[in-house]
Amino acid sequence: MNMRLFFHVLKLAVLQQTTYRTALIAGLVTNFFFGLFRAAVITALYHQQGQINGLTLEGAITYVAIGQAMISFLFLFGSYDLMMTVYNGSIATDLIRPMPLFSLWLAKDFGAALVNLLMRGVLLLFFFGLFYKVALPPRAADWLLTALSLLLGWLVSFAWRFLVNLTSFWTPDARGIGRGAFIFSQLLSGFLIPLRLYPDWFARICHLTPFPAMFNTGMEVYLGAVRGAELWRSLGIQAVWFAALAGACFAMMRAGVRRLVIQGG
Amino acid sequence: MATIIRVRKLHKQFQVLVRRAGLGGALVNLVKPRYQVVRAVNDVSFDLQAGELVGYLGPNGAGKSTTIKVLTGLLVPTSGEVVIGGLVPWQARERYVRGIGVVFGNRTTLWWDLPVIDSLELLQPMYDIPRERFRSNLAEFTRLLDLEPFLNTPVRSLSLGQRMRADLCAALMHEPALLFLDEPTIGLDVVAKEHIRQFILHINRARGVTVLLTTHDLSDVERLCERVLILDRGQLLYDGSLSSLNHRFESFWTLKVDFEEEYGDVALPGLEPPARTGLQAVYRFDHRSVPSAELIARLLERFRIADLEVRRPPLEETIRRIYQEKLLEREDADKRA
Repeated sequence: MNMRLFFHVLKLAVLQQTTYRTALIAGLVTNFFFGLFRAAVITALYHQQGQINGLTLEGAITYVAIGQAMISFLFLFGSYDLMMTVYNGSIATDLIRPMPLFSLWLAKDFGAALVNLLMRGVLLLFFFGLFYKVALPPRAADWLLTALSLLLGWLVSFAWRFLVNLTSFWTPDARGIGRGAFIFSQLLSGFLIPLRLYPDWFARICHLTPFPAMFNTGMEVYLGAVRGAELWRSLGIQAVWFAALAGACFAMMRAGVRRLVIQGG
Repeated sequence: MATIIRVRKLHKQFQVLVRRAGLGGALVNLVKPRYQVVRAVNDVSFDLQAGELVGYLGPNGAGKSTTIKVLTGLLVPTSGEVVIGGLVPWQARERYVRGIGVVFGNRTTLWWDLPVIDSLELLQPMYDIPRERFRSNLAEFTRLLDLEPFLNTPVRSLSLGQRMRADLCAALMHEPALLFLDEPTIGLDVVAKEHIRQFILHINRARGVTVLLTTHDLSDVERLCERVLILDRGQLLYDGSLSSLNHRFESFWTLKVDFEEEYGDVALPGLEPPARTGLQAVYRFDHRSVPSAELIARLLERFRIADLEVRRPPLEETIRRIYQEKLLEREDADKRA
């Protein structure tokens, strides 16, 4: 892949995302207040218990706070941009340019994700910290590993969302598929409820899917719940899931390109 | 001259869901969808030589856009052969699109929320355009298309005419040998249209870019194209020069006459009686059997005439007659007979 082109698209995506100031503020406010609400529910759930399945109350609150901060970076509620371009026909303007569709959207998505991380994620954590105690990784190395794991989590999330969006090559309403698929990934990624709070058998099923690699792994690295060899194994699993989902995307694009109908005159 | 586009027996069919009416019908649709095959492009063949500027005409739904989408690699045809610059458009899409430029009049390739210049500068790494070359092209197109006043304006704030000019620039920065224009003047005012036409002529003449353009605006075609392809309901009705199209189908010209005084009968032998209003009469005549000069001489012999005007039918009318009366099919049948 042409890296200079990738970074140029990334730059434009960053510039484009920063033009949506009102949306950024509205998103920040929503995620923040919903976070306070979720923290209140978790506090009630713990009801004086010191810890549940090895997760302390402070850990669980931190989990919620980071989760709310990551919604916009990892696009945990899903995204529908690619399928929109299929339905309104503007995918034509991307296909007449010599750039693979996958890397084009990868660069665009990363640009938007970075802006969201800085302008929504970090600010949200700051405000949340005024109300609750949010645990922070102790050492610089932990920060680096967390960043790496979140980056891998974003890659997994991107490939998953790209795959879901590609169904629009086949069906005239992939939005319904998207809504179902993204609820599913929220649940199994540990975003709605930390995986450690699930019954053991259900958590084990979750770990057979790519979704914990999207969110739960990054959280565990942040909280220091995985260490040493287990940590590297977790990062490896994230990378493998990204490769697998990306492979599925390419296979689906190859199969779908003949099916694609560009709408509009 | 080298053949740059070669199209043979191109077919593109779509399956369209036929919806049954009513609530019961909607349920049946869910369980047992019924499809109808629409032949958008039906057995179309043509060649384009390098350096040509060709108009692709047809009413709405004729299959023009579908053809353009196949030729630009966006759609895979049902059957048929397309070779453009030695490549098959829908195979190796990325390699193929490096060599072509495309403008869709009703869409933009520019980044909607960013200044025009940002979208243009992205093209340098995208096509690996040498920097010097990029700068000189940008300077030239900025001058020709008068982009300077709005290079730093976000695309969403541009007028339609400005946006179209910026899109033309974006389609040509990498100096493609072949340019596809799908309705490049749609919705533009007369001045903006003329600006764009001049630019298209310029890049065709000065840079030798081969251009295939679809349009509804026949004044585009009259101004730009020597050769036209006419499509109707997926079939190619005509492929030839505009002048021979005129000669073959503009059979009836009109002659408008203002008489000096009232005459009872102004009909001429061998011509249908003219339509009259007051002192004016309008004759329709076939200019191939009766030259207008002869007609005028005959009128001057008999009547005192204040004013005369000979009119060729506008191209619109000729084309409309071709669609309506299927003139071309009849011609083919005559030839075969």
